[in-house]
Amino acid sequence: MNAPDRYERFVVPEGTKKVSYERDTKIINAASFTIEREEHTIGNILRMQLHRDPNVLFAGYKLPHPLQYKIIVRIHTTSQSSPMQAYNQSVNDLDRELDHLKSAFEAEMLKFSRDY
Amino acid sequence: MEGGVSYARMPRVKIRELKDDYAKFELRDTDASIANALRRVMIAEVPTVAIDLVEIEVNSSVLNDEFIAHRLGLIPLTSERAMSMRFSRDCDACDGDGQCEFCSVEFHLRVKCMTDQTLDVTSKDLYSSDPTVSPVDFSDPSATDSDNNRGIIIVKLRRGQELKLRAIARKGIGKDHAKWSPAATVTFMYEPEIHINEDLMETLTLEEKREWVDSSPTRVFEIDPVTQQVMVVDAEAYTYDDEVLKKAEAMGKPGLVEIIARQDSFIFTVESTGAVKASQLVLNAIEILKQKLDAVRLSEDTVEADDQFGELGAHMRGG
Repeated sequence: MNAPDRYERFVVPEGTKKVSYERDTKIINAASFTIEREEHTIGNILRMQLHRDPNVLFAGYKLPHPLQYKIIVRIHTTSQSSPMQAYNQSVNDLDRELDHLKSAFEAEMLKFSRDY
Repeated sequence: MEGGVSYARMPRVKIRELKDDYAKFELRDTDASIANALRRVMIAEVPTVAIDLVEIEVNSSVLNDEFIAHRLGLIPLTSERAMSMRFSRDCDACDGDGQCEFCSVEFHLRVKCMTDQTLDVTSKDLYSSDPTVSPVDFSDPSATDSDNNRGIIIVKLRRGQELKLRAIARKGIGKDHAKWSPAATVTFMYEPEIHINEDLMETLTLEEKREWVDSSPTRVFEIDPVTQQVMVVDAEAYTYDDEVLKKAEAMGKPGLVEIIARQDSFIFTVESTGAVKASQLVLNAIEILKQKLDAVRLSEDTVEADDQFGELGAHMRGG
């Protein structure tokens, strides 16, 4: 009866931004990004991609509570970069990797059906 | 914003098996986070079409309305068109009513038993308003017996019993309800790397080798009948159960074999319900993942506030 609707887990409510940014007030070049209606799927690939950026000193994410449908990604970078820059870089790199994966899979499908 | 430097990887794919409802492929040069994201998206975020609303006009069968409605919802429907369909709640053509051609498909079922023989009502008795969305056909093309041409049984009717209903099928994702999940199961395993210490192995007798080889519940190792050497016959049969490692320790030979899970090679097994072809399921998952990444991009109005540190901050960031 009082269970939340299931679509609330993946539909961003009106008036809420998908991604919001909050600068850390104590550490320079550190910030938290709150991503609404996402969980480990996006959080994990984002975190692991951020780890590959040498300018990133710290990158982690958490789900504050299973009934709060959002993840908080915390990024701390060197002075050569900024959290926003590192975040954009990682999203672009992941997009590029998935593009490559898609074309690799399609090429392999063609090759497989030809050989078969 | 984006510099010339890129840390994107270039994953490699090799397909081993490919059928309509099954695919097995290798994914290399990427890490577990991408593999797991693909697995999660394939199971719970690739959209398909499933029956979501049932209006029953006549039901004199032994099952009640709710039971039949639930069984109808679980029938997989061919969903090639699902990626381009609209979600009912977002559809502006029908004001969220969820019953127009852009976001739904209508089905009808009208069956009455007129003979003394029990009548099976199956998914083949469902008639669709859209030929591209229909119950999945599970017939085996190679089989020849007449019993082969059967759909999913919904209910059985005795003489005089009748079932008449209208059903609306809509687009959805597995995260909402499992009936929308296009995957029967999706798994991946880390490719094992197995190294046998030949020096230690030579100190074993043939009986001890046989005993050690048999300690694995799956057939990973075998003894070459000619050379009496232990060799790996199927590394992927290894289930990471550590049985051979424990046996080696019990025999007083720790380090006899070294088994490492490679962190950049994954063997995927994709089994589809038939709603989407297994190969298309993988491609749809990659597309959905890209859409999710686009959704989490920073928008223009997410402005980085530099005010706090003023000139000092700008100087420290080398800007």
